[in-house]
Amino acid sequence: MDILQIVALGFMVTILSLVLKEQKPLFAFLLTTFAGLVIFLMLLDHIRFVVRTLENLADQTGVNTAYLKIILKIIGIAYIAELGAQTVRDAGQEAMAAKIELAGKMLIIVMAVPIIAVIVETVLNLLPA
Amino acid sequence: MLKLAGALLLVGAGTMLGWMHAGRLADRPAQIRRLVRMLGQLETEIAYGYTPLPEALARIGRQPGDPLADLFHEAADRLAKEEAAVTETWRLALESVWGRTALKNGEKEIMLTLGNTLGASDREDQIRHLRLAAKQLETLEPEAAEEQRKYEKMWKSLGLLGGALVAVILY
Amino acid sequence: MNVDVNAIFQIAGIGIIIAMIHTVLKQMGKEDMAHWVTLIGFVVVLFMVVRLLDRLFEQIKSIFLFQ
Repeated sequence: MDILQIVALGFMVTILSLVLKEQKPLFAFLLTTFAGLVIFLMLLDHIRFVVRTLENLADQTGVNTAYLKIILKIIGIAYIAELGAQTVRDAGQEAMAAKIELAGKMLIIVMAVPIIAVIVETVLNLLPA
Repeated sequence: MLKLAGALLLVGAGTMLGWMHAGRLADRPAQIRRLVRMLGQLETEIAYGYTPLPEALARIGRQPGDPLADLFHEAADRLAKEEAAVTETWRLALESVWGRTALKNGEKEIMLTLGNTLGASDREDQIRHLRLAAKQLETLEPEAAEEQRKYEKMWKSLGLLGGALVAVILY
Repeated sequence: MNVDVNAIFQIAGIGIIIAMIHTVLKQMGKEDMAHWVTLIGFVVVLFMVVRLLDRLFEQIKSIFLFQ
């Protein structure tokens, strides 16, 4: 998906959204959200490509695939939480956006705990008894 | 290309619907005035012509195509064919013609009440009731004109917008 | 992708037309019907957005390996 097309789409949606905002701000928000999601969908193919490449590299270097899965999930949570928080903030609901970000952070920590546990164990094992 | 033609067709249809509705609103004051005139003609026939009711009605209902004239014509027809009471015949004629007029319930009530006295009382009484009905209709006319003024443009725009909306949704 | 871009303009069109219908109806004095129409339009658009959101989340789940 060409960057030019995405930027052009963004411009047009912004103009339409401004027109709508005066009459029905609700529709303006829906329009902007929808357009944002469409752009994100357009990017997903490229993201998929990058992720697959990372997976292949990890396979080749022999890293445990479980860890890679956790990292990928964390990245996914970060993306989605960012998307949600930005969209909600756009509608003016700053409190809601903060909650979404908080939820994202919590979930990431929860996912990361096993890896931290493994690191700590490894370090403890390296230390002389 | 075909889609564009279909969309334009939808918008056109919606606009036409809106125009037709606005047209009904515009017709109403004119039809009230004509009805008042026709009642006056009926009154004249009864008062000075001493014409029997069915013949008077037939004479007034002679102009073709006009739904109001059709009312009188229909009433005359039914009176000639069936031997039912005038009130009932009048009511049936009203019911069958009313859909084609631009008039509303207020006028219908007045005409129904008139039917109760038509052909049922003596000449003086009938003339009085005819005049009463005419006067009542006249009071309804300014209200009809006002309604037309307010809503005519609205219905036209509404028709256009509604058509455009459906066209966009079915895009 | 092209279907989605068309959908964007569809939503914009619906929004503008509903805003105009709302204004016309309000001038006619039928403000409650105006609100009904707006609400219905909003629900229609909401359906479209939620459908897209569902598609997006399915794809994300498949990329980041089934959250």
